[in-house]
Amino acid sequence: MRRTTAITVACMTATALTVTACGREADNGGSGAAQTGAAVSSGKATGEITVWAMGAEGDNLPKLTKEFEAANPGVKVKVTAIPWDAAHDKFTTAITAGKTPDVAMVGTTWMGEFAASDALDPTPAQVDKSAFFEGAQKTTEVNGTSFGIPWYVETRVLYYRSDLAKKAGYDAAPTDPQGLKDMAKAMQTKAGAKWGIGLQAGGEGSWQTLMPFAWSDGADLTKDGGKAYNFDSPEILKATKYYQSFFTDGISNKSAPATPTTEPDFAKGTVPMFISGPWMMSAVEKVGGAGFKDKYNVAPIPAGSAGSSSFVGGSNFVVFKNTKNRDTAWKFVNWLADPKVQSKWYTISTDLPSVKSAWQDPALASDKKLAVFGKQLETAKAPPSFPTWEQAIKGLDTELEKITKTGADPAAGLKTAQQQAESIGTGA
Amino acid sequence: MTAQTGTTGSVTGPVTPAAATASGGPDDRSPRGAGPGVSGGRVGSARRRQGRAAWILAIPFCLLFLAFTAWPVIQSLFMSITDTKARDLRKPFSVNIIGLDNFTKALSDPTFRKAAANTAYFVLVGMPLTLVLALTAAVALDKGITRFRAVFRLGFYMPVITSIVAVAVVWRFLLQEPGGLINTFLGWFGITGPNWLGDPNWSMPALIMMAAWRNFGTAMIIFLAGLQAVPAELHEAGAIDGASAWQRFRHVTLPLLRPTMLFVMVTTSIGYLQVFEEPFVMTKGGPLNSTMTVSYYTYQQFGFGNYALASAMSYIIFVVIAVVTALQFRLLRERT
Repeated sequence: MRRTTAITVACMTATALTVTACGREADNGGSGAAQTGAAVSSGKATGEITVWAMGAEGDNLPKLTKEFEAANPGVKVKVTAIPWDAAHDKFTTAITAGKTPDVAMVGTTWMGEFAASDALDPTPAQVDKSAFFEGAQKTTEVNGTSFGIPWYVETRVLYYRSDLAKKAGYDAAPTDPQGLKDMAKAMQTKAGAKWGIGLQAGGEGSWQTLMPFAWSDGADLTKDGGKAYNFDSPEILKATKYYQSFFTDGISNKSAPATPTTEPDFAKGTVPMFISGPWMMSAVEKVGGAGFKDKYNVAPIPAGSAGSSSFVGGSNFVVFKNTKNRDTAWKFVNWLADPKVQSKWYTISTDLPSVKSAWQDPALASDKKLAVFGKQLETAKAPPSFPTWEQAIKGLDTELEKITKTGADPAAGLKTAQQQAESIGTGA
Repeated sequence: MTAQTGTTGSVTGPVTPAAATASGGPDDRSPRGAGPGVSGGRVGSARRRQGRAAWILAIPFCLLFLAFTAWPVIQSLFMSITDTKARDLRKPFSVNIIGLDNFTKALSDPTFRKAAANTAYFVLVGMPLTLVLALTAAVALDKGITRFRAVFRLGFYMPVITSIVAVAVVWRFLLQEPGGLINTFLGWFGITGPNWLGDPNWSMPALIMMAAWRNFGTAMIIFLAGLQAVPAELHEAGAIDGASAWQRFRHVTLPLLRPTMLFVMVTTSIGYLQVFEEPFVMTKGGPLNSTMTVSYYTYQQFGFGNYALASAMSYIIFVVIAVVTALQFRLLRERT
């Protein structure tokens, strides 16, 4: 009896203490003035650093770090490859436990979240931020502070079957939105395509196909000086109406399978146009077989009132705050941004360089299709780096699905997406 | 608690009976120790020693249970009444307590409601379908199929032990439109099959079909065991009294199967209320959220870093499961 009382009292005290210990501290980090990291020492790098990298990049990175080790005797770079599926959880767990690596490759959309957990080290002044494509550099910035560097980039362009385009009466891809639609229609009527162009009918990531059109018209995904989401602006509405018209006019398939069959459809000519990233070049060439290289071409996104713009993605490299070897960590990251290293990395991985001058390397400059990506990257834009971005944009993806599949009113759909985004908040 | 510390202390040294009695605390506390006579005291100390040994043996389990089962439950319960987000994980207690806001937020979220309706649809259609399939297969294996019984049993059970990832690939081919096997089959009878996974009205039926196919094997095995426990004499007696096969099944087999039925219903409904894998691998909740389930939506919220809201949603599922299970126990209890 006495014992249970004691236990009860102990438990209640513990609970009371815990509960009173709750409550947020004054918000530090996140808001406030832009920061620059402390200067990094000069001279050779020393000691050991651990690096996490995902997917194929994680597998290939050791080939590159060998050169860093050769240039800096005594340095040891330990690369841990982690699968993409597990990466986000692994990072959040590591941040929670304070067991982060020194340096890591991170997805561009995670920057806001990690920076908000105060896990990242601000970029020191030694790193030349103007060397990168502007849109790519923007992905490292959270509230005006840059964390890390953009490592490699990708952007979305228009893919089209040049042989079928000839049949449809086009020698080159049109440069304005109406022209693109006419060409897609001609692909159906004159070149025997089942669908003119493959556009994603809503669902996960479909905003990446919609936004290039909106950005080309000068859309901005934020308002109030970058402090709030802005999904229902007139520019996005115009782009959404345009996007919807492809489905209502029967040019695009509104009930395409959830797992897209883009490559075989493209090779067969049933869907001779689509919008996607650089990885699709090797993918369609693999499916298309020998000689397919000459049967298709790429072109920039049709220009709107603000010129041609697109979506820039890729991955960044960051240094974590609780690194024990900060100088070497930043030296390694800065080395990765070296134009020579960047073009070397392209030959290893075919990841496109984020550093503009690396594109002058013959390996890249000689490829005409790649040049289209290089040109597009100069104007391509990144989504805002709010910690809640992925959740907020999911609302837009869902609304876009209704708009394309059921013909719902674009204005109402965008309004709903905007309301949801506002209730979620930027999280910054 | 005191018992635990006492026993941990004695683990370090050799436990002699004398030392044990000496450190056993005041004897007058124990009701047995207060009993009259020497023999009563000896029984008491032996019991205490036994009790202590039991505690020592139970400690590893208790510690593991507290650390890995009780603590996560308590923490998630705590989380559900706070405003914890992903970035608070480093300092889990420096969050604001907001009471039941997360629960009201979840319940007023239209997507959550839609997910709840979808889950109800899945359970209400999927569970009876699974039970009927399982019982039919079990009866067939018990009475009808005599040849290759083991082969059929294995065949029906195979989907249960096959990885969902492999199953999903095959089912996507089956459900493909046009050209999928199911629609081709329907086409032979002049029926134009729907675009199963692409049509919001047909995506859920497609998933239910797949789930029933995938899960009826387990229920079938249990039904089979239950059927084999039905005494043959009762069937004979029924047959002599002129009962038809259907009447015997309805009035002899089914009542005797009630405990088995209860078990299968409870386990199946718990599994179906938490349905996650099917939408995760097949549709990602689409099209138009028509296959969004509560578990999948909760998972998404965890992914977005809304730990507090997601915890609250998990507890809502937990309560629903508890209520549904209790209802089933009431409906199918022994009526004596």
